Amino acid sequence: MSTSTDTNPAVPAQRAAGRPKADRTTRFGEGGGVLNVFSHGFLAVWALLIIFPLVWVVLGSFKTDAQINGSAWSWPASWGFDAFTRAWSKGIGGFFLNTLIVLAGSLTLTMLLGGMAAYVLARYEFKGNRAIYYLFVAGSMFPVYLALVPLFFMVRNLGEITPLLGLNSYLGLILVYVAYSLPFTVFFLYSFFRTLPTAVHEAAMLDGCSHTRAFFQIMVPMAKPGLVSVAIFNVLGQWNQYILPVTLMQPTTAGEADHSMLAQGLVNLALQSGYKSDAPALFAGMTIAMLPVLVVYLSFQRQVQAGLTSATLK
Amino acid sequence: MRHGKYPFIVGFLFLPIVLYVGLVLWPYAQTFGYSLTDWSGQSQEMNFVGLDNYAKLLDDEVFLGAIWHNLLLLILLPLVTILIALFFAFMLNVGGKGGTGGIQGVRGASFYKVVFFFPQVLSIAILAVLWGAVYRTDGAGLANGVLIKLGLADAAHPVQWLSDPDMVMWCVLAVLVWSGVGFYLVLFSAAMQGIPKDIYEAALLDGAKRGQTFLKITLPLLWETVQTAWVYLAIVAMDAFALVSSITPGAYFGGGPDHHSELISTYLMRSFLRNGEAGYACAMGVVIFFFTLILSVVSLWATKRDRIEY
Amino acid sequence: MGSATEYNRRDIFKRAAGIAVLAAGGGSLLAACAGGTGGSSDKGSKGAGGFNLSDAKNPFGVKEADGLEVFIFDGGYGNEYAKAFEAIYSKSYPGAKINHQTDKDVTGKLQPRFNAGSPPDVIDDSGAKQIKLDVLADSNQLTELTPLLDAPYIDDPSKKVRDVLMPGTIDSGTIKGKVYNLSYVYTVFGFWYSNKLFKDHGWTPPKTWAEFIELCGKIKAAGIAPVAHQGKYPYYINVVMMDMIAKQGGLDLMKRIDGLDAAAWDDPAVKTAVEAFYQIVSKDFLLPGTNGMTHTESQTAWNQYKAAFIPSGSWLENEQLASTPADFDMAFLPMPSLPGDKLPFEAIRAGAGEPFIVPAKAKNVAGGLEFLRMMLTKEASGKFAQTANSLTCLKDGVGPEVKLKPGTASTVVALKAAGANTFNFQYPNTASKFDEDLQNASGELMAARIDPAEWIKRAKESATKNKTA
Repeated sequence: MSTSTDTNPAVPAQRAAGRPKADRTTRFGEGGGVLNVFSHGFLAVWALLIIFPLVWVVLGSFKTDAQINGSAWSWPASWGFDAFTRAWSKGIGGFFLNTLIVLAGSLTLTMLLGGMAAYVLARYEFKGNRAIYYLFVAGSMFPVYLALVPLFFMVRNLGEITPLLGLNSYLGLILVYVAYSLPFTVFFLYSFFRTLPTAVHEAAMLDGCSHTRAFFQIMVPMAKPGLVSVAIFNVLGQWNQYILPVTLMQPTTAGEADHSMLAQGLVNLALQSGYKSDAPALFAGMTIAMLPVLVVYLSFQRQVQAGLTSATLK
Repeated sequence: MRHGKYPFIVGFLFLPIVLYVGLVLWPYAQTFGYSLTDWSGQSQEMNFVGLDNYAKLLDDEVFLGAIWHNLLLLILLPLVTILIALFFAFMLNVGGKGGTGGIQGVRGASFYKVVFFFPQVLSIAILAVLWGAVYRTDGAGLANGVLIKLGLADAAHPVQWLSDPDMVMWCVLAVLVWSGVGFYLVLFSAAMQGIPKDIYEAALLDGAKRGQTFLKITLPLLWETVQTAWVYLAIVAMDAFALVSSITPGAYFGGGPDHHSELISTYLMRSFLRNGEAGYACAMGVVIFFFTLILSVVSLWATKRDRIEY
Repeated sequence: MGSATEYNRRDIFKRAAGIAVLAAGGGSLLAACAGGTGGSSDKGSKGAGGFNLSDAKNPFGVKEADGLEVFIFDGGYGNEYAKAFEAIYSKSYPGAKINHQTDKDVTGKLQPRFNAGSPPDVIDDSGAKQIKLDVLADSNQLTELTPLLDAPYIDDPSKKVRDVLMPGTIDSGTIKGKVYNLSYVYTVFGFWYSNKLFKDHGWTPPKTWAEFIELCGKIKAAGIAPVAHQGKYPYYINVVMMDMIAKQGGLDLMKRIDGLDAAAWDDPAVKTAVEAFYQIVSKDFLLPGTNGMTHTESQTAWNQYKAAFIPSGSWLENEQLASTPADFDMAFLPMPSLPGDKLPFEAIRAGAGEPFIVPAKAKNVAGGLEFLRMMLTKEASGKFAQTANSLTCLKDGVGPEVKLKPGTASTVVALKAAGANTFNFQYPNTASKFDEDLQNASGELMAARIDPAEWIKRAKESATKNKTA
């Protein structure tokens, strides 16, 4: 087995050998200059490819409808915030809040339940262990929309038992998010738990520590890096979820609170723009939805990167 | 170890399994059932038709084309994204000036890392609207605007991007790569930072060239991370629905022009919602199921390797 | 998933399809649920027996104390117009408390309420998230509107409501032989242009296709693109092309095409019309990039005088309000004639859409019916034309005192000129896959990736395929 790690990479390695940087005959210390220009060029172009469209969208919020539909190169005539007001009045703030509430709940539960299941599956021998593991893995890649219609009926029926879980309820959506995040979470945490050393855990057990306490007080802290990186994946995945909230967050009676998620709200805004041709409000809506996320990311990017770092470092 | 082992196992597994079976597996199972019927999706009436829907699928040119497009994404998206991300990650971590300090990344590496990650935190709704504006087919589109300004496109015959049957899949691929590279760059850089510097320095002393260090040291040590990335990207490729259905031309869930960007999922949704062929759509869903099942098995097998200890 | 663009496109489509009855199969994902807990036995409509249709004042027996809940789809026509209707209702029933609701997502807001058995009293059931009407009808959720049609017309009680409707309105509201909805908005389809642009350049709107093509040459020479279309959704260009076929081949041919008769495509009229139409492409008369543009993009470019003609339904003026210059002077043009046309130049595609329904389980069915009857007065119709810039299904529904926007005014003139010469293809509602194939082929034709002969071949193949299916 261990030899395969050595031979396998050689295949793509040879294929990639024709790439320019492999042809450099300069030594490490000296060749940096040429390579530096080369790499800086690529990196700068890619950075431009990302920043330019985003800035263009922000600029779009200040243009007029005619300008946006006229030329890509138009420059805002004035810097008024009308478009932002129009976009905000559609309730974007509320959508943000809804999204945060649901994400907070679903993330906590996903990590807790996923961690528990993965831990038991990874560290305990019992009959049916493999079967349950494969059951989870099998679900990891199926498209959600395949289950939508039966799912809708199921959640509606849950709502008839208790409104807390029904359509347009935070908790209902949270549970669905959790259920659909479990396969992925279990799959990756499973392999993570398997890599953890057994000695500490065994020592704790000998000291009479219960299984539950061993999990929460010993294994979870040890598994923190893995948990963090899977959590990051889950945040990104659930943040981008669209079809589930559209299907499940529907008011069931007149005047019920609107619990739309952010993406839903944005789509409504786009819809409005489709009817009334208000492209600036659409661009402003995108800006409003984009900026806080970017700000949050910028303030936490160290943690995000650290999470990913520690994940790959075990 | 014996005391309370089974109650503990049951206690830990109960809730996750109930949620998962009830809200995920059971709806999927129902889909299997519907795939054997002629259900229209608009009433509760349906008749059992056996495997007719599957037989029809094999004859359906649009569906076969969709499978092909899905395969294309499944192969190219991970390949291109990973290559670019690896290249950038290498640049950022060991591509800098050598100098006395030995190995280091280029200047501004952390800036690039942050910027490249941006698309990942944007909602798919934003991506769709943004790229719709970029790929606009007249001079008001960002891409055409730039090309015309640079004299690379003719204002009278602007590039048709998503409306050109030969370009549309590549345009879709470009968006997916654009939004994905940052994440894998960060993932790979993290892994690269985990590689002890002295390995590089030892190689340096042995007279290794920069490209060689990448191929002989970095890539092998990163292999497991690359495999993980491949699995993530395969999932993204199977789920390109959100993007394709919203930016490509065509009535109801895109897939145009003239089915040239049709995916199984877009065709599935159109059959279901517009054409009133829910049973047929469910059969397509089952095909996706087997597709992904094979994929899961392959990736499980591929990731089942020992890691290199360092 | 999908996004923004997907949804507004679907909305546009829905609305376009709403020219006549609602597309078979175009409804919402969850439309099926409407039939879910339905159960029809309990109330039903509050008894036709209770109606006294000879009473012009109050034929349905509205009780003033009963409140009225009105739900309006907040789409291209907005929802302001309905407030005017509600004011009219309040004049007659000042004691009735009116609850005005509006949203873009009709299914999302109302489908659960149908399931719960407490729907509003009047619903404008339209848009991308429309609840499919045949599903509602099948599960006995709708009040039959025959009593409304037989009730006295408010402006002239000697007439019945059914006598004052535009042709095709009742057909549009009919599902399986029974009338369930009032398709309130009357839509015409054709080319549109700016009178200002034409006056500035001294161009006259063409009446024949030869004149059209000649004028296109002049327009191009003037540095303006002759024709734009909403190419990302070939629906629009396909409509005008099909209209040319209908005018050349006559109503018989149209019926054969509707019936998916493959042999209809061998009719020489098809070849003549498509080949003539293809000159737009072969002579390079299209706005650069238009083949990939959305409705908003292409129509706005047209508003900016980048193109002279654009195909659309009469919702165009209202849709483009924000981007149309004040002196644009929008005008409607029927499809120009080819030699040997069976229908005259004035003939246009026209039909009623935007269905209003009264749920069977509404609390105030009588009030709902009365509300619809009040919508069909000259006052209400005029208010609608003014606020929503579109015509209604009321014959001569706009009095001279109503000041219309130029585009809407031009459709009034066109409809008057057309008289009985209106037509409407049914296949988009009855054969949606065939429609999709035709649209795709038209998209390819506009991009010159196929030629007219290939277009006809594909149409014929699709007719054959979908006939048997």
